[in-house]
Amino acid sequence: MPTSRPAPFFQRMDWLLFAVMLALAVTSVCFIYSASYRGPGQPMPAFYRQQMIWFGAGLAVYVAVMAVDYRRICQWATVWYVLAVLSLVLVLIIGVQVYGARRWLGWGRLGIQPAELAKLAVIVTLAYYLFHRTPEQRQDWKTVLAPMIVTGVPLLLILVEPDLGSALTLVPILFAMLFMAGARVKHLLLAVLLGLCLTPVAWWQMKTYQRQRLAVFLNPNRDPLGAGWNLNQSLIAVGSGGVTGKGFLQGTQNSLGYLPRTVAPNDFLFSVIAEEKGFVGAACVVGLYAVLLGRGLRIAANARDRLGMLLATGIVAMLFFHVFVNIGMTIGLMPVTGVPLPLLSYGGSFALVSMTALGLLQNIWIHRRNY
Amino acid sequence: MSFLMTTGDIPFRLRVFSGIVAAGFLLLLLALFRTQVINAEMYGTREQAQSLRRIRLPSARGDILDRHGVLLANNRPSYDVVIYLDQLRISKRQDIYRVASSNLAVLAEAMKLPVTLAERDIRTHYHKRRPLPLTVWRDLPPPTQALFAERAAQLPAIELIATPIRQYPNGALAAHLLGFAGQAEQPDDEEGDEFYYYQADTAGKQGIEKTCDEALRGAPGGRTIRVNPSGRSVGEVGYKPAERGDRVTLTIDANIQRIVENALDHAPLPGGAELRAAAVVLDPRTGEVLAMASRPTFDPNLFTPGAPAAEVGLVLRNPASPLLNRATGARYAPGSTFKPVTLLAALDSGAVRAGDTSVCKGSLQIGNRSFGCWNRHGHGRVDAATAIRWSCDVWFYEKGMATKVDAIARTAKDFGLGQPSGYDGGGELAGLVPTPAWKQAHYGERWWDADTAQLSIGQSFLLTTPLQMACLCAALANGGKVWKPFVIRRIATAEGVIVSETKPELRRRISSPHFEFARQTMLATVQATDGTGQRAAVPGVSVAGKTGTAEADIRVDGAVRRIKRVWFIGFAPYEAPRVAVAVLLEQGDSGGHTAAPVVGQIFAGIFGKPTARAERGGVHAD
Repeated sequence: MPTSRPAPFFQRMDWLLFAVMLALAVTSVCFIYSASYRGPGQPMPAFYRQQMIWFGAGLAVYVAVMAVDYRRICQWATVWYVLAVLSLVLVLIIGVQVYGARRWLGWGRLGIQPAELAKLAVIVTLAYYLFHRTPEQRQDWKTVLAPMIVTGVPLLLILVEPDLGSALTLVPILFAMLFMAGARVKHLLLAVLLGLCLTPVAWWQMKTYQRQRLAVFLNPNRDPLGAGWNLNQSLIAVGSGGVTGKGFLQGTQNSLGYLPRTVAPNDFLFSVIAEEKGFVGAACVVGLYAVLLGRGLRIAANARDRLGMLLATGIVAMLFFHVFVNIGMTIGLMPVTGVPLPLLSYGGSFALVSMTALGLLQNIWIHRRNY
Repeated sequence: MSFLMTTGDIPFRLRVFSGIVAAGFLLLLLALFRTQVINAEMYGTREQAQSLRRIRLPSARGDILDRHGVLLANNRPSYDVVIYLDQLRISKRQDIYRVASSNLAVLAEAMKLPVTLAERDIRTHYHKRRPLPLTVWRDLPPPTQALFAERAAQLPAIELIATPIRQYPNGALAAHLLGFAGQAEQPDDEEGDEFYYYQADTAGKQGIEKTCDEALRGAPGGRTIRVNPSGRSVGEVGYKPAERGDRVTLTIDANIQRIVENALDHAPLPGGAELRAAAVVLDPRTGEVLAMASRPTFDPNLFTPGAPAAEVGLVLRNPASPLLNRATGARYAPGSTFKPVTLLAALDSGAVRAGDTSVCKGSLQIGNRSFGCWNRHGHGRVDAATAIRWSCDVWFYEKGMATKVDAIARTAKDFGLGQPSGYDGGGELAGLVPTPAWKQAHYGERWWDADTAQLSIGQSFLLTTPLQMACLCAALANGGKVWKPFVIRRIATAEGVIVSETKPELRRRISSPHFEFARQTMLATVQATDGTGQRAAVPGVSVAGKTGTAEADIRVDGAVRRIKRVWFIGFAPYEAPRVAVAVLLEQGDSGGHTAAPVVGQIFAGIFGKPTARAERGGVHAD
């Protein structure tokens, strides 16, 4: 522990990371507005204002998370983990059922998704666990197995809800962190192989709608008016945006409801941006994420200790998975799953989780090594 | 990238991890580039295809005018109540038919009109033509419009719209000539693509409406609307108004037309005969059709969209075929009106001279058959002049046989018989001029002298239309100019820019030194006290003409009956003919008794003089 504390944290924090986060949040509010816009004189759903409240709350959590040393936060890893698992169990019992899935814990309009919080808990727990292994232990196959179990429990609970997208997010987090912790590549490949062997089981376990989505992913022209509707309409929205887009509030795919109003502000917000701002706008958004994750990787590289490095890795892996799967989904690169776009998609839980995660990154950066 | 990561002490595995992330972003950018730049056009087309609908807007038909600008056909507004099915608020569980019909039921009660739309109409319209208005009631009278206005505010998806509807202001006047317009059929192939809502024009079905259809129709307009996924219109993207059709000016004179129709309606028919007749009036100086009428007739206003089917059916199924234009579309033996042709053929061939005589004893023996003259008592000694004036058949039997069939047929064809006249009003039949070769081909029989005799008096196989006989009459009047008759004088845009103008067209010029003689005999036919056509005379007007009576067998209720087709062709004034007329009645006593008075009335009307008949009647009254 350093004896002389360096300058206050806001002087040491990564302002570029903060600026990119704010830019994405502002973009989010603007395009959630656009996604719920139906034309002049039409009633306007208050999604965008709701999102502003979430971002406000997220900013408070962000500052709070920055203020407490990440090492202290990680000491409580077991508690976070147990709390996360308990809430995942709870949601299965008393969760609010929406579209046949129990994902929400909530009172009235205020609801959170434990699955989103569980992602952070898993990252913290894995970082804490792997940090405390000796270099020799980290080479051992048991050090691979234990994190798999740690990840597997919430993963299965989330699958039961069901929420395939969130459950799958845990997988890249696990592998990225094991990889960065120094686990043997041989062990990791073995784990991947095992996972592939389980694929038929997964198919057998899937709900009909999930199978349909996969089938549509493999062949977008299958059932374009049913299961393939969202994918096709998203492709048309993105593609018809062209290079410069149709202009703010001018996206017909979105405002006329071809891109269904239930998904436009959240899972398919990127399609709205791409339709209205074109390739230029879409590339800018991708660029913002690239800067965001690039900064995250720099933070990992400059972390004071292995704990910070692993934590940063897990966060980057989580955010990257979300960005890649969500944007990939809107252009048919990935199957349709309900994985939200960090800081852009409408939704409180993941906005909070994303900002907490970015707060943790700032935290690690503030406590980085000094040269 | 140095601002993203500090260089230097970066572990290898972090570099691998960063590489994966960077590759992911690159992949996203490339995929976006492919979708938004390379395939942008394809997706743009798909976007438009699913959200844009083109609606074809029918154009209003152009007006039809007579030569002096009198309106013969134009449009009037029809006030229709329509329902926009896409504007009805219905939830997923509600049924469109129930919602629509319950809305309409309220209105129906208020307006005291029954809803005639079937369930199928509503469903089909909802699925196939959703953003278009569905017509509920057509052509509401003003009191019902007022009832609608009281209720309209509460029914947002229902509107009163005005659509142009074809109107013939003079009712049945010139009905056969004008024809009528009805709903055009939708072309199946070319415009049948699914993003096209087709609203049909009115198409001309007969007469000028049909022959000038292309000009009258104008150019359709279009409206492009945006629809949402449920097919509801959410706004207009583009609009191009339909162009009104061209204005067609005819050579018809509405006044003369009225005179002619009136004269036909008052024809002195024998008892029990139905009026089935035709009349054509030409200007012998140009070939312009001044009037054309056919009986029985119909009211073209009946054939508007939404007309009562029962009334339309009555017209269509009428055994008297009121829709048939007998002036151009029916063929009859011309009878003695053909005799001037035979006369010219005979004199021109050199086989007969004007002074050659025959002795008419009421009939003539040809081979082993006896052929009668209409006058059973015989005309006695007859020369060319009296043969025409008295219409003696025997003189024509003899001189016709001397002339030979070929010369007669040639002259007949020179006058335009046996071929379409080239009339631009449509629906024309060619008629028939028989020749030995024709008879051989159709009956496998040789041509007998008796056939020539029959042909000479306008019978045997000879068939002509009233229009052809009018042309023939005009050529006799003007000394041999066979005009192509025409009725379309001018076509101009609605703004008045002339598109086309018809110039008189000479089909043939018959030169014969005997024209004047033939004309004189026709003048005598009307003017001489012993002429057969004296009932066509009009005091103060030098009318010339020729009567005709042709016997024909028709089937009435399965039994064959012999009736007389009666004709009169005439022109006036004799010195400088301005009018040539042909009148046919399918059933009459004789040309002189039944047809000549009709022509007399026509000339009297045209030249503003009372007829000789009326004058005589007046004298008697004194």
